[in-house]
Amino acid sequence: MFVYEKKLQYPVNIKNPNPKLAKIILSQFGGADGELGAALRYLSQRYTMPLPELKATLTDIGTEELGHLEMVGAILYQLTKGMSEKDIKAAGIEDYFVDHTAGIYPQSAAGVPFTAAAIASKGDAITDLHEDLAAEQKARTTYDNILRFADDPDVKDVIRFLRQREVVHYQRFGENLRILTDKLNEKNFYAFNPEFDKKCFKNQMKKR
Amino acid sequence: MTEREILTKKLSSYQFAIADMKLYLDTHPNDSETIKKIKEYSEKLKTMRKTYEEKYGPLTMNDISGNRWKWIKSPWPWETEEAD
Repeated sequence: MFVYEKKLQYPVNIKNPNPKLAKIILSQFGGADGELGAALRYLSQRYTMPLPELKATLTDIGTEELGHLEMVGAILYQLTKGMSEKDIKAAGIEDYFVDHTAGIYPQSAAGVPFTAAAIASKGDAITDLHEDLAAEQKARTTYDNILRFADDPDVKDVIRFLRQREVVHYQRFGENLRILTDKLNEKNFYAFNPEFDKKCFKNQMKKR
Repeated sequence: MTEREILTKKLSSYQFAIADMKLYLDTHPNDSETIKKIKEYSEKLKTMRKTYEEKYGPLTMNDISGNRWKWIKSPWPWETEEAD
């Protein structure tokens, strides 16, 4: 169950609107490597995970990603707040405006609507953990790319926080992979699918 | 920074430290030192939450006090203070 808390994980207080910057940050809301995809990826994969450490990590990181989605939404809202038709034209975001006005819609910077095709839930813990490790790095690169174009310290501070979380999550997923492979046949990790072939664990007593 | 922003930041710092330690414990469940630290921080957070909610309204819908529905009164987290 989820209970909403009426505050952000990390504060977002942007003083100067900048719709042009919002257009690229939008990718982390609804783009291929964005926070919505991250939350759905982890919260979908967790059900069939074979070990309690993996279920816990995916639940907790997936939940944190929902908080990050809210933070990115707050950045977008504050960067576009009070913009006039002139501002929209100057920022070159008429294409977004015509479809969504100033509403926040999950799509990539290039205008591709959010798609679950960008995430995977393969039903194999080794495969899914590699997907998750890659996903964290892809999000980290996207934040690095955003930082190249962001010159507002109010924005940069929040983006740096989000970027750092990707690095921490990568670390935790790496530990998950090690916890998993330590329990598998060291001669061939891939002899079985640890999510489907339940008897693949070394001592066959991990029915938790 | 306003008084509310300062308290929010303090509250968020403690919440964040606790959340990050919990995530660490998912892969290091036997680290009793970290569990001890979480308990210590959680006690401090409890007091801070109480102060915050008394001053600025409920943080969750479960935190009901008084006979008015305060949930809709306080600003939403994506809004900055000047906006209100």
